[in-house]
Amino acid sequence: MLGTLGRAGALAGTAAGLALVVAALPWLRGDDPARSVLRARLSEREPDRAALDAVRAELDLPAHPAAGAADWLLGAATGDLGRSWVDGTPVRATVAAAAGASVTLAAAACVVAVLTALLLVAPVAWNAAGTGRRWSSGPRVMAAGTAALPEFVLAAVLLTLVAVRWRLAPAAGWFGPSYVVLPALALGVPTGGMLARLVVTAVDTTAAEAWVRTWRTAGCPRATLAVAVARRAGTVVVPQVAILFVGLLGGAVAVEELFAVPGVGRLALRAALAQDLPVVQGCVLLLILAGAVMGAAGVAAHRGLLGPAGAAGLVPAAPVRRPRRWRIPLAVGTLLAGAVTTGLLRDPDRVRLDRRLGDPSWAHPLGTDPVGRDVLAQFGNGALLTIGTAAAVTALALLVGLAVGLRGTRARAGGADVLNALPPVLVGLVIAAVLGPGLLPAATAAALVAWVPLAVHTRNLADETRAGGHHQAAVLAGAGTRWILRRHLVPAVAGPVVVHALTRIPGTALAIAALGFLGLGAGHDTAEWGTQLAAAVDYLERAPTAVAAPVAGLTLLGVLAAYAPEDVR
Amino acid sequence: MKQLLAATTLTALILGGTTGCFAEPAPADGGDQRRLRVGLAFAPNARMSPFTDDASLVTQLGVTETLVNLDPDGTVTPALAERWTVTNPSTVRLTLRSGVTFHDGTALTAQHAAAALQHATRARPVPKALAQIRLTATATDDRTVELRTAAPDPVLLHRLATPQLAILAPRAYQSDPAGPDPIGAGTGPFRLTAVRGTSGATLQRFDAYWGGAARVAGVDVRFLPDGAARAGALRAGEVDVINAVPVAQLPHLGDHRLVEVPLPRTVGLHLNSTAGRPFADPRLRAAVRAAADPAAIVASVYEGRVDVGAGLFGPASAWAASGRTGRPATAAAVPAGTRITLATYTDRPELPEAASALTAALTGRGFAVRTVVREYTALEPDLLAGRFDAVLLTRSYLLDTGDPIAFLASDFGCAGSYNLARFCDRAFDTRVTRAGELTEPAARQNAALQLEADLIGRAVVVPLAHERARIGTTTDVTDVARDPYERTLVTARTALR
Repeated sequence: MLGTLGRAGALAGTAAGLALVVAALPWLRGDDPARSVLRARLSEREPDRAALDAVRAELDLPAHPAAGAADWLLGAATGDLGRSWVDGTPVRATVAAAAGASVTLAAAACVVAVLTALLLVAPVAWNAAGTGRRWSSGPRVMAAGTAALPEFVLAAVLLTLVAVRWRLAPAAGWFGPSYVVLPALALGVPTGGMLARLVVTAVDTTAAEAWVRTWRTAGCPRATLAVAVARRAGTVVVPQVAILFVGLLGGAVAVEELFAVPGVGRLALRAALAQDLPVVQGCVLLLILAGAVMGAAGVAAHRGLLGPAGAAGLVPAAPVRRPRRWRIPLAVGTLLAGAVTTGLLRDPDRVRLDRRLGDPSWAHPLGTDPVGRDVLAQFGNGALLTIGTAAAVTALALLVGLAVGLRGTRARAGGADVLNALPPVLVGLVIAAVLGPGLLPAATAAALVAWVPLAVHTRNLADETRAGGHHQAAVLAGAGTRWILRRHLVPAVAGPVVVHALTRIPGTALAIAALGFLGLGAGHDTAEWGTQLAAAVDYLERAPTAVAAPVAGLTLLGVLAAYAPEDVR
Repeated sequence: MKQLLAATTLTALILGGTTGCFAEPAPADGGDQRRLRVGLAFAPNARMSPFTDDASLVTQLGVTETLVNLDPDGTVTPALAERWTVTNPSTVRLTLRSGVTFHDGTALTAQHAAAALQHATRARPVPKALAQIRLTATATDDRTVELRTAAPDPVLLHRLATPQLAILAPRAYQSDPAGPDPIGAGTGPFRLTAVRGTSGATLQRFDAYWGGAARVAGVDVRFLPDGAARAGALRAGEVDVINAVPVAQLPHLGDHRLVEVPLPRTVGLHLNSTAGRPFADPRLRAAVRAAADPAAIVASVYEGRVDVGAGLFGPASAWAASGRTGRPATAAAVPAGTRITLATYTDRPELPEAASALTAALTGRGFAVRTVVREYTALEPDLLAGRFDAVLLTRSYLLDTGDPIAFLASDFGCAGSYNLARFCDRAFDTRVTRAGELTEPAARQNAALQLEADLIGRAVVVPLAHERARIGTTTDVTDVARDPYERTLVTARTALR
């Protein structure tokens, strides 16, 4: 009962805090909402005093952010979310319509993700059930590579191939179930790769558990055992599906824009740019509610899947040992380092208009970009900026995620789930409003959301460890909290979470890049991979290498991360 | 496994349950119903209210009409008004066409037209075309509308052609006079029957159209903001017409037709001449002009699909090319590492590329350039505050009145509301004011060219390119409108073969 009250309190507190932040946006940005609202209505109307006064008179701007937030919260409590400043329509109807589109898309993308993950994981579980061999590099590499695919590049490729060349699905719009296919694939496939990556790690851990050997020795059919192993591994991943669903709900901005999906991400971004505060607040409310609900659902599903053994605290945890593989990671690492080094020796800034979109040649091994710059040079210089920034952000997120996840003494849906529901783009807008646009604010925004999945993962693993016999024995033996933390929790949790963090480096790089696309991240003409992709993706069919180079870089990075040592002790 | 099954079923249920959230059935495929399928770049953002940018969306689709039109030369031509007399410098009398009915069956009268204009004068903010004048519209009889302005206004008739002054039936203003609803209230060849949020719209042929019924049965509109998706929909045969084809997509159009129309819209580099800033020095501005290579940018970034910038006014205005004379140009200085910031925006995909090219050229000339590129809305506050030294932008010079003088006043006058060059020269202002008093269009155009020569000679602005509208169609489509003002696209004459 107290727990429920606490959850509701945390949720209400978060909602109030965020309402205040949104209400303070005009003050933080130092930008007159009358101007941005005018601009949203009339793109070429001169913002003269009369026009601005006319708009301002309609907006009834609060005198102070706190007053604005209080008014909004009072209205929201009675179900009145106000009217849009730009078009005067009721916010509740607008947000509900967008939510309908986004929930459909996110659900379809989750189905795609789960199917992708199952395809990638099935051979691993089968293998583990049959032979007890735990380390299987093929699926692991494929999963990592898939997870590193930037969704907006995948979306552009799907549009060109599936819709235009093969005519198997409609290109863009939102007029019926067939229009869901391409956006759901673009969002779902990389998400599925990420899921598979987590399941494969969990399968490895599970296969080492004693009961698997017992079942096998007892002559349990291989298929039954494979399913049991997959189910056991799935427990770690189910809360992640809930989190990914919420992330897709508001964070699919680029894909929604490309395929003209009238979803929440697009609505929130447009409204934030126009400072249509009632709409921004409506979107934020929707996303934090969704975050809270799905977070709780994820925890419940995790409990359910752990089964009676988990409830009784009987699930054994075992250390993972796997053979060291050097050849593939060494080859991948050498390739990446080689390409980056070659690129670094070349001039990334030399503009040659006469060599626009050049094909690969001796002078330009990877061709040239839309203003004739050398793609290889851009790739090499971009690697430093992209990987460096993303690694720094991830390291910070890892520390925070571990600290928060280990502190949680029981699974609960709290601030973490709520924060996770906020799209990085929205967070980026707020941060850029305070700090001004740049690579550092973009990195800060990415860090603010990057720690959440790591904290949730840590929390779930720690829960499992606490259910283990050796942990209970230690507690009964009178071990102190610090001792348990150091000897039992950290060793069991750190490895998988570090690996999880490593697989998120490419994703973090992309989040930073997405902000750069809006002018809130790395500056124009910076050879950052995301900025490069944003400039080149329009020319996908004409200069594929300019798109392929950064994508290959991100994929190689993902594959390399897949070989990270897991048994960190 | 059971749980997994349950989860999958649940998702399937969610999917099934939310299909109601789609924006109605897909626009009909196939041409047998002879419906035209159109993909437009800009989605409505204010429920198609004519007092916003959505105004030109509804005129482009042939839903609403104005009292008069402008032809490419800037001459006023009849539309809902069939003739007019200028009774004195601040009064015009227009006689309405007879036999015009609104889409709800109401016959158009002078009272309706006067009421529609009066509603526009009360819009907040007031439409740009009416911002500088105080207009009153009255009906003197059933077919005559009398317009008066507080001060003499030589371009009053031109103002009436702006889509924001479309004449709607009384029902449009009933529920919300500040945001009229054009559904069933227009006079054009197509009746707007449904707007599906920001996804699409449906139009039916209006059989009682005064100009003769349209040649297609209806129009299905999809709003596709992304250029690649828009071109993709055309290539995949899902739509028949798209507007704003991006340069990047041009080589992929294959058998499709590309309709190019020169626009009164110029891409230029505006140099901030505030005292104390680097470009207060006309010789440094001249150095920028010397460094910029418009021909190279047009050939590469625009792939030759725009015209090289010759001045502020481009080939869309025939008078500009014929009346232009030579101009004395300021000599260029050599910048020794002068630090400047160059800003542009991402909303037009070619501008960031042009900015990269300009940055390289200016750096080569000796400037130390910092380039800022953002979404326009995020850039504008800093733009208007004059925080950049050079601003690369595309600007329409005739948009609301077809009058170049008003553009010069707002963009280069001391009190101009969009003076990004922060140019202020009292002598120049006096000449603009005097030119604004001329009544003969030719005289105004001539004055505009002389003022332009002055601005270019002093390198206040460096013109780079004159834009063109690029409309892509299938080979079956004939007679989409070639309108330099981008106010019409689908008309009664547009047909599918």
